[in-house]
Amino acid sequence: MATVSVTTATAVSASQPLALNELAHAVGADTAWVVQLVEVGIVQVTAAEAPPEHWQFSSTDLQCALEARRLERDFGVGLDAAALILDLQHEVRRLKAVLQVHGLR
Amino acid sequence: MEFKDYYSALGIDRTASDDEVRKAYRKLARKYHPDVSKEPDAEKRMRDINEANDVLRDKEKRAAYDALADRVARGGSPEGDFQPPPGWDAGFEFHRGPRQGPADHADFSEFFSSLFGEAERRGAARQNYRARGEDHHAAIEIALEDALNGAEREITLRAQTVDAHGHPQWENRTLSVKIPPGVHPGQFIRLAGQGMPGHGGEAAGDLYLEVRIAPHKLYRVEERDIYMTLPVTPTEAALGAQVHVPTPGGGVVEVTVPRHARSGMKLRLKGRGLKGKTPGDLYLLIEIALPPADSDATRKAYEQLAQAASSFNPRQHLGV
Repeated sequence: MATVSVTTATAVSASQPLALNELAHAVGADTAWVVQLVEVGIVQVTAAEAPPEHWQFSSTDLQCALEARRLERDFGVGLDAAALILDLQHEVRRLKAVLQVHGLR
Repeated sequence: MEFKDYYSALGIDRTASDDEVRKAYRKLARKYHPDVSKEPDAEKRMRDINEANDVLRDKEKRAAYDALADRVARGGSPEGDFQPPPGWDAGFEFHRGPRQGPADHADFSEFFSSLFGEAERRGAARQNYRARGEDHHAAIEIALEDALNGAEREITLRAQTVDAHGHPQWENRTLSVKIPPGVHPGQFIRLAGQGMPGHGGEAAGDLYLEVRIAPHKLYRVEERDIYMTLPVTPTEAALGAQVHVPTPGGGVVEVTVPRHARSGMKLRLKGRGLKGKTPGDLYLLIEIALPPADSDATRKAYEQLAQAASSFNPRQHLGV
């Protein structure tokens, strides 16, 4: 089995964000679909008034976009419903993490 | 390689309509969704039903799979030793464009990728399709210490490559990944060019690894904050004390436990959580540990404490 050494590992973060076309490519969508995510608030851009090619996206945005894409593909939900499902999903995860912190899970 | 029965994975007959496939998938996907499922093997079941759904909801793939299942039933492959017959997919064509959602195939079985992964690629090649390779997604679980300090970890993934004759093939690839210091759970590490090979000479896609933090015997992580239970004696809690505390980044710090500390009280060590633009904090959850009354001296000390604090009633709020 060949071991491939990777020298170009970067963490998607505030200092190394994803551009609009990179986020779209990562989730197998086109950029117009990502613009819709911004409109319904599934992903957040810090400067929404800037031209889309200057938008920057974080790891959280990539996570939300991936989940929205799967919800849309697998369950046929609209993006407004996906936004609500994702909010509830994140709240459940947050609460589970709090339970775990207090040793209750 | 094992022959996969996609119909039984979704609990449906071969005669199921598209609508029945969709309904069966959605029902099971809800049952095994990792956020709601209590089943111990939910993650594996979810992968299996996603794979079955990927094939059965697609007319071209389903027809080719049915034809292959017929051939297998007639010819009979030994149990658990299935190899697709040469040219099994002759007459079928699979399409996968860049707009079909995340390429989840890296999670799918060897059975799936040996059949459809290569066939999709050949389909694309026949159409002279040119595009950058799809990005792939996977998860990497690392120790908390590695998240704080950075580390080099090896992961093994099934990846598609193209041989010298332009034929796609799948191989198990071991990647040595340098994890930058300061990553947090849910963050993605991006490995340029380690996704699917490009189509028609275009560049390969990237690989995104989602960071997960392995359970730790002392610390628990919530976003960028780290929590630890700090046991203290009743004396330390009542009178206050300086105690030594190990920090996740290594080293020991001295912490002041305030007087009248209670169980469940949180002490915050600012900026000692996971790094980032806004670094997380380390929280110490006070837990009062009682010395065992297992000697005459400790029993006597407890009795003296009871006498000295005879007016203290911990059940006052219960009205008794």
